[in-house]
Amino acid sequence: MMETIAASRCPQCGWVVTPPVRICPRHPVEMTPLELSGYGYIVSYTTLTAAPEGFKPPLHIAIVELPGGARIFCHGKETRALRIGRRVAIEQTDGIFYFASLGIADRVSLFWKRRGAAPERTRDAVKSALKRFFSSPTDAAPSAQPPAEPAQKGTNSADTEHPPAAKK
Amino acid sequence: MRDVWIAAAAMTRFGRRSESLDDLIADAALEALREADCQPDALVVTAMAPEEFVGEGNLASHVGTYLGLSHLPGIRVETATSSGAAALYAGLALIASGLHNRVLVVGGEKMTHVSTPRVSEIISRVIDPHERSYGATMPALAALVTRAALAKGLITETDMARVAVKNHANGARNPYAHFQQPVTLEEVMSSRMIADPLRLRHCCPISDGAAAILLTCDPTGLKLAGMGQGSDYLAVRYRKSLTGFQATQAAAKAAFKMAGFGPERVQVAEIHDAFAPFEILALEDTGLFPPGKATKAVQNGEVTLEGRLPVNPSGGLKARGHALAATGIAQVVELAWQLTGRAVGRQVNARVGLAHSIGGMATNNWVTLVEQVA
Repeated sequence: MMETIAASRCPQCGWVVTPPVRICPRHPVEMTPLELSGYGYIVSYTTLTAAPEGFKPPLHIAIVELPGGARIFCHGKETRALRIGRRVAIEQTDGIFYFASLGIADRVSLFWKRRGAAPERTRDAVKSALKRFFSSPTDAAPSAQPPAEPAQKGTNSADTEHPPAAKK
Repeated sequence: MRDVWIAAAAMTRFGRRSESLDDLIADAALEALREADCQPDALVVTAMAPEEFVGEGNLASHVGTYLGLSHLPGIRVETATSSGAAALYAGLALIASGLHNRVLVVGGEKMTHVSTPRVSEIISRVIDPHERSYGATMPALAALVTRAALAKGLITETDMARVAVKNHANGARNPYAHFQQPVTLEEVMSSRMIADPLRLRHCCPISDGAAAILLTCDPTGLKLAGMGQGSDYLAVRYRKSLTGFQATQAAAKAAFKMAGFGPERVQVAEIHDAFAPFEILALEDTGLFPPGKATKAVQNGEVTLEGRLPVNPSGGLKARGHALAATGIAQVVELAWQLTGRAVGRQVNARVGLAHSIGGMATNNWVTLVEQVA
């Protein structure tokens, strides 16, 4: 089983965004809830050496595009070997999304780096590690329709960061 | 719609200033009023976050009273880091519509007395709350944009550094600039990493300062020829493309439409280079250079003071500094000075200038065109 991510879909234009929001950012129309599979490809990433209050540097942040076209912000263990277009799994620990091919040791360390401490988070971390160990990304079929191309002025599909070789 | 003209343009030196926000604004405003030799009949005031930085609200009345202009109708305008440009737009609208004849537009920000982490936190509030909850700061979002542009081959790390070197060189000739020392390519490329791949010397400083422009319906020879606004989703994750700003493209289109001419007539530009790579992206988004040509222009010196199209003769946000709401007005002050031969030490030969201002992470952008028609 792969992580599922809460999202919402516009009944008018089919656009999917995450986290779910009440009204489609493109139209004043109420969105309907939807769940997405927790994998995608890296759109961009950075490492902050000066992290804002509440975070410990270095802070690794990535934007990942999920099946269906929704993009998500997530944290990661490191960005050193990362490339735009790389396929990653999304793991949710304590309500925070992480991009990963992460080992158990990495995940435990990530967990301890978050501010504060709560015992139940250890259970979550172990659970998500086991889940990853017993599943492979190829098992999961995209649960949403193909990426909805926005008909925005000034942009077109050739202008996006979609790497053609991203999905191997 | 009536034509709108610039009667006076003034600003304070940007940098770490000991004066209060009130006095910075007063210095710029009084200088503009002296220069124009006429009285405004309305006041447009802007500061991005005076409630946070200096603890003042009700800013239009606050500034109106401090300036002795509390009898005038006054409003405050705010669109994040492009607030200065938005205030000019309000002034333009008041005059073009015939509601008022002479509008004093003044903006300022005072923030160097506040600790840097606190300043970053206040500025970060212009970011989408979900993205902010993942630690996204302005440099972080700019780094995500820059990384994507590097990967697409739109820019190189050397080009980014060249922009910073050029703008510091210009700032060194501008007595109003925050940074008045040149830097070398090596200094930029070896400066401290802030948000990979952005280094300290790619980022604009935290500055204090104020700027003022008096707009009028009476022809002065210096015409506010066109202004356009472009907007985009607050959330960066909603955008299909990271490497061009739709808000800039829309703003430029609207500004050129109002002015009735195209980018080929622009001879000097003030670009919102809060992060050095943004200057290159903006040169293409505004239409000043065709797609893929801006890096060439940076490489072969076309955008230096001596080049075909000088960009950021003031030093830009990088070197003149970025006093948030003052910046959008200060850019147009620089254009006014350049077009009337008053840009001592950095004068270029130009009759048409373009200013480009980014609000938030390109959520509320402006393009302004100024033309010398005398």
